[in-house]
Amino acid sequence: MKKGKIIVTITIGIMCFILTALIFMQVKTISQTDISELEIMRESELKTEITSLKTRYDETIAKIEETNEKILEYEASALEGKEASELLQQELKETDDLLGKNSVTGEGIIITLANSGTNKVYAEDLLELVNLLKNAGAEAISINEQRIVYDSYIVDLAGNYITVNGERIVSPFTVKAIGNTSYLESAVAQKNYGYIDTQTAEGKQVALSREASITIAAHNKSLEFEYVREGE
Amino acid sequence: MVVIAILVGCILGAIIGVNGPVISYTYSGYLAIAIIAALDSVFGGITSVLKGNFDIKIFISGFFGNAVLSILLTWLGVKLNVDIYLAAIVVFVGRMFTNLAIIRRYYIDKWSDYIKNKKTTAEKNKTKTNE
Repeated sequence: MKKGKIIVTITIGIMCFILTALIFMQVKTISQTDISELEIMRESELKTEITSLKTRYDETIAKIEETNEKILEYEASALEGKEASELLQQELKETDDLLGKNSVTGEGIIITLANSGTNKVYAEDLLELVNLLKNAGAEAISINEQRIVYDSYIVDLAGNYITVNGERIVSPFTVKAIGNTSYLESAVAQKNYGYIDTQTAEGKQVALSREASITIAAHNKSLEFEYVREGE
Repeated sequence: MVVIAILVGCILGAIIGVNGPVISYTYSGYLAIAIIAALDSVFGGITSVLKGNFDIKIFISGFFGNAVLSILLTWLGVKLNVDIYLAAIVVFVGRMFTNLAIIRRYYIDKWSDYIKNKKTTAEKNKTKTNE
């Protein structure tokens, strides 16, 4: 046998070997990856699915944007409502201040009245003082932390106690008044005929002090009408 | 001798292929195109043997070169999103059919010649015996 023929034979044998090995490997691969082949077969379906999902996604995005816009609108209107309610709140606060429903601070005077032996302080004395202070422009007055408001009353109860706003109070009486300190002081501190001098002359203990900042507590009773109706 | 080599190669290849590793599905497409190219080369080789112009260098270079080239083209097609492997399959399978046709004609011719020769020899023998 010629040398060339042997080489050709061996070469062809090797090539056949390679070819058959490749073919069998490929067949094996294909048969073993049956699932992925199924997936490949459903590729068009998957594509359709993806397209529809994409459409739905876009729609959802559009919806979200729409909703966001609506939310913004609502927020804007809510803000407007908030402004209105803030205004109302402000008004309400002012009214409450005027009615004495809030505790207040400011410059003013503190007058302390106290019984001295048999010389007692009566309700009239306190009423007179309150009137004087109001006349002098007091904006907020309290007696022993009882705020004097529009329906406050000061009465003697059984001769022993004084009632303010229905609360029993006893000596010493601390009268706080917020207002122009000079006016307030001059209203009660005239020489000889003034309130303090008169009371002192009657034998009661009276003290006056000017304060840069006094705090007067809020009226703690309810302010309600029971019989009054709104007029026509 | 050549037939024995082919048989031994095929059997060994089958054994190795069955027991060999599984190629990832992603690359099985490339392998398939390589197989088609190699098969085309084989049929081309057989045709050239029959025609008598067989060259082992051309055969080997075609066997491996076509396989590698087809793999490269398929890869390029994947990169360019064009199914170039379809063109390779069309070319290779078309050539395979052409070669098969040539082989078929060759053997049919040979067979019909053989029958003709048999007939003529039989007639000759007949005439000889008659004489």
